[in-house]
Amino acid sequence: MRPQLALLSLETQGDIELARVAGEVDASNVDDLSQRLLEAVPNRARALVLDLSETSYIDSSGISLIFDAAARLRNRRQQLRLVVTPRSFVGEVLAAVSMERSVAIDAALDDALRAVGDSDGSGGSDGLD
Amino acid sequence: MTPDQTNQEERAAAAADAVIRLEDVQRVTESALAYLDLDDLLRELLDRVTDILETDTAAVLLIEEGGRTLAARAAKGLEEEVERGFRVPVGRGFAGRVAFTREPVVIADLDQAAIQPVNPLFHEKGVRSLLGVPLVVEGEVIGVLHVGSLTPREFHDGDIELLQLVANRVALSIERSRLMVQGQIAATLQRSLLPRQLPQVPGLRMAARYLPAADDSAVGGDWYDVIELGDNSIGFVIGDVAGHGMAAATFMGQLRSAIRAYALDTDGAGAVITKLAEFSDRMETRMATVVYATLNLSTWGVRIARAGHPYPLLLRADGSTEFLSDAGGPPLGAVGGQTYNEQAVTLLPGDTLVLYTDGLIERRGSQLSEGEAALAEVASTAPDEPELKCQAITTRLTEGLTIADDIAILTVQTVGLDELLEVEVPAEPSQLATARHLIRRWVEANQGTDDDCAAFAIAVSEACANSIEHAYGPRDGIVHVRASLVDGEAEVTIRDRGKWREPRDSNRGKGIPMMEEFMDDVSVEPTEKGTTVKLVRRLREGR
Repeated sequence: MRPQLALLSLETQGDIELARVAGEVDASNVDDLSQRLLEAVPNRARALVLDLSETSYIDSSGISLIFDAAARLRNRRQQLRLVVTPRSFVGEVLAAVSMERSVAIDAALDDALRAVGDSDGSGGSDGLD
Repeated sequence: MTPDQTNQEERAAAAADAVIRLEDVQRVTESALAYLDLDDLLRELLDRVTDILETDTAAVLLIEEGGRTLAARAAKGLEEEVERGFRVPVGRGFAGRVAFTREPVVIADLDQAAIQPVNPLFHEKGVRSLLGVPLVVEGEVIGVLHVGSLTPREFHDGDIELLQLVANRVALSIERSRLMVQGQIAATLQRSLLPRQLPQVPGLRMAARYLPAADDSAVGGDWYDVIELGDNSIGFVIGDVAGHGMAAATFMGQLRSAIRAYALDTDGAGAVITKLAEFSDRMETRMATVVYATLNLSTWGVRIARAGHPYPLLLRADGSTEFLSDAGGPPLGAVGGQTYNEQAVTLLPGDTLVLYTDGLIERRGSQLSEGEAALAEVASTAPDEPELKCQAITTRLTEGLTIADDIAILTVQTVGLDELLEVEVPAEPSQLATARHLIRRWVEANQGTDDDCAAFAIAVSEACANSIEHAYGPRDGIVHVRASLVDGEAEVTIRDRGKWREPRDSNRGKGIPMMEEFMDDVSVEPTEKGTTVKLVRRLREGR
């Protein structure tokens, strides 16, 4: 196979959209990733969980993608949560731009999924259950 | 008026007529230079010949490869001779005799002649008289030109001379046309089947040469290719199709396209060659040998598969040599249903991989191993720079020899990762990954920690991305990256030849803060000639 710099896999878990990025994110593939990511989140989804624990490299264009996605989702009243391994390269880069001030970051996928669920419990849409 | 006088006047008139005809012939043959296609040229010439000599038929037969037979190439009034692909053995019959004796042959009346044409067509058509002359180029008979009449006719000395004159010009035109066609094959081969230029890959230096055989007709089936496989690896091909001429070149072109297609969607060098072998089996044309190697640009790991081709040579930076003979299989098209394995090696900084075709090492009367030894010797003593190395290898191995077989050579060298590293990175986003992997390796080679590697990877990648985004835009350019180490302090400069524009959108401005976060010092120096970013960080060795 033609090697890809990064692989994006998508999964729907109820009303949560889960996206995993494995590999490297830079200016060469960020536009493609950004487009596929945003297309993957339907209006009915409550949250996007972006799992970066398999992401080995991210640069400023990837950071832009996250800020941009966060802003768009916020406008649509949808949540964004990141999963990042602490002290990993990606973790350091995100810390360098104080990402945690704008976007919720979890150390493990389970934490992120639980956090979305909890916010649902305390939020206004639990009347459906 | 006496009959003698009449005769004289007639002859004078005929002579004057002949001069005019001769001028016609000259005009035709001169204008014939404009024809690139031999068949068009001959058709035109035969029209003029029948016209000038007032004959009913005319034909050109050419001696075929091997020299034993004549084949009709063009005919007028005897068109079936060409259509039926008629062949006459040299020495037999009318045309065969002309070619064999290299003398004009006249048959005044076919019904009573001792020499008869081999081809029954002459009788079917009712040809009565024939005149044939040889086509000679530089003392070699290349064919026969003959004319015929449906009514009995005496061909006089004047007719013979005139036809021989035409034949001489025809022969020259044919030869010129043949050479032109040969030249076209060679040119087409060079132009369309070999890469016009090798891609530029950060951290690699490549060079290639193609030397056609000395004999024009031996233009053959050697080729080399470099395939950019995607984000982080590159493929190298060298191959040789058996035989020469247009057919070999055509098959080579097919193999070249096939391997390019397989390389892009098949994982593994061995699997690519296995598929190529399957492709060749189905083509059932001719044998070919090939080597395919992939190189991972972040690890410099090489995987090599080989089908009946000479062993690639690995020349280490320290001058030692090794022929990579572990993996292999039969030539393509030799045995069906083969699976090819691969050999893995890792290139170290400054190593060179030499791929070549057998023309480089095969010498009449000497063993292949002698040729290999000579190549290893020359390669290890030749200059390090790939262009110079290629030049030195081909020059020294072909010194004083007529090149009997064409030669292709492709060398790939990894850059040295000493205290100084200088590379040129094409200004394309797809090259960023290669650039940062390279700088990572350089920091690693100079005892930097993992943190140092990561820090430089992101800072250099950001700086290169800025150059690509701001300095060049959509037009191609080059970014120079220079890394040096002085007293434990690593300094990397990234230089482009453009002026940075204002960021296109606000998010793009994040590059510089990111560099500052990971470096001890960052400076951006815009000048008239371009922008230089300097990144400095003390390597935290032995922390």
